[in-house]
Amino acid sequence: MKMEDMPLSGPDNTKLEALVNDIYSELVEDACLGLCFEVHRAVKQGYFFLDETDQESMKEFEIVDQPGVDIFGQVYNQWKNKECECPNCKRLIAASRFAPHLEKCLGMGRNSSRIANRRLASNNNMSKSESDQEDNDDLNDNDWSYGAEKRAKKRKSDKSQTSPRRSKTLKHKNGELGSGISADPYKYNYNAGINYEMLGPDEVQSFLTTQCGVISEHTKKMCTRSQRCPQHTDEQRMAVRVFLLGPSAPVLPEADSVAVPESFDIPDGQALMSRLQWEDSPEISPSDSASSKASTNHSDSRRPKKKKPRPSLGLNSGGGIGSLSGGGGGGSSQISERPLPPPPPQRLCIPNIRKLKNTVTPTREMVAGAVKNCL
Amino acid sequence: MNKESRLKATINQRLTELGERERLKELLRAKLTECGWKDQMKAHCKEVIREKGLEHVTVEDLVVEITPKGRALVPDSVKKELLQRIRAFLAQHAA
Repeated sequence: MKMEDMPLSGPDNTKLEALVNDIYSELVEDACLGLCFEVHRAVKQGYFFLDETDQESMKEFEIVDQPGVDIFGQVYNQWKNKECECPNCKRLIAASRFAPHLEKCLGMGRNSSRIANRRLASNNNMSKSESDQEDNDDLNDNDWSYGAEKRAKKRKSDKSQTSPRRSKTLKHKNGELGSGISADPYKYNYNAGINYEMLGPDEVQSFLTTQCGVISEHTKKMCTRSQRCPQHTDEQRMAVRVFLLGPSAPVLPEADSVAVPESFDIPDGQALMSRLQWEDSPEISPSDSASSKASTNHSDSRRPKKKKPRPSLGLNSGGGIGSLSGGGGGGSSQISERPLPPPPPQRLCIPNIRKLKNTVTPTREMVAGAVKNCL
Repeated sequence: MNKESRLKATINQRLTELGERERLKELLRAKLTECGWKDQMKAHCKEVIREKGLEHVTVEDLVVEITPKGRALVPDSVKKELLQRIRAFLAQHAA
């Protein structure tokens, strides 16, 4: 029998309906009985009235049924429109935005880029200390500012102090002059440099009028950057010009009156190098460099970390040694102090953070720079 | 009448056999709790108990007091739904 048929058959229908109602009544009675048994048991077992306490408490926890409040009587959006003052930046922030703002502001949350900020902070601190170490002629051909490289280098080197690759790369650099070490992403491209031996005097002169030209002690190549390149000082540039073109070298825009012959001694390279190495070997403590500048101090304090690879370095005395910060950095008293006037203070341009992220520099540069600093 | 009672018996049997009766019971109980009927009835029970005295309440007392009120207090929606389900069952399984 289908539902559609039911209206047609009258008596059957009513009977059916009666039947349905009967069944329904049975079910409802069942439910009521069930409830009665439940209640009766609760009464007899003594737990029926457990949810009732004295009138006072009952009033206190009564269900609240007002608009705008929840059943406990608490307001939901109470703090939404309030503003809080940030303890860090002293700004007024909306309450619902306060927590995310603090995360960014204090640099402590997960999404706060705190690594980048930390690097920023340490860069600002270190940029002054590294200004004297920019005289590294090994970096003829790189595109980044030296300071950024050095700092990134330092970090990388600190990380990989004991990696077997390290000594390999150092030897590699020493052995190969001018070959592009393109396989290693951390090396610079040395190919862009120019070897002064290949150029004639006229070419050299013209080259030197437009470009930096400071000769890297390692690769014997001249720096192809502009005359104001931050990696080399004017002293170095003067020294190179004197060396290549004679004492009557054209004057640089900012020529220093530095004692030039002392600053650039290729013939004495070996002696100088041995001196460098020897001078370098004792452990230098910051306290020893009382006479050096603060900047040298910084480099000295960092040097113990880089002490490992130094003995394996074959340092060529190159250009620019003389233009280091004056004063004997740390420790070694056997070499007489070079009577060099202190170079003009040089400041690096603040490195681009983007570049900084990508730079991973070999240790040797920093070592060389630090070594020169001690002279 | 015989036919009727026979029909009724058959259907009841069918309901129980196929488990539909239990399902309907559970459905009803759930719906009644949901709509607050149970709490209402409990409150009424409390009154009855207070009236009769906690120690002397019997099941009969409660049944007598509760069942009529219970039947009356079932919400219409619940009633309608249940009736519909029963009818559907009958339509499906009746001869």
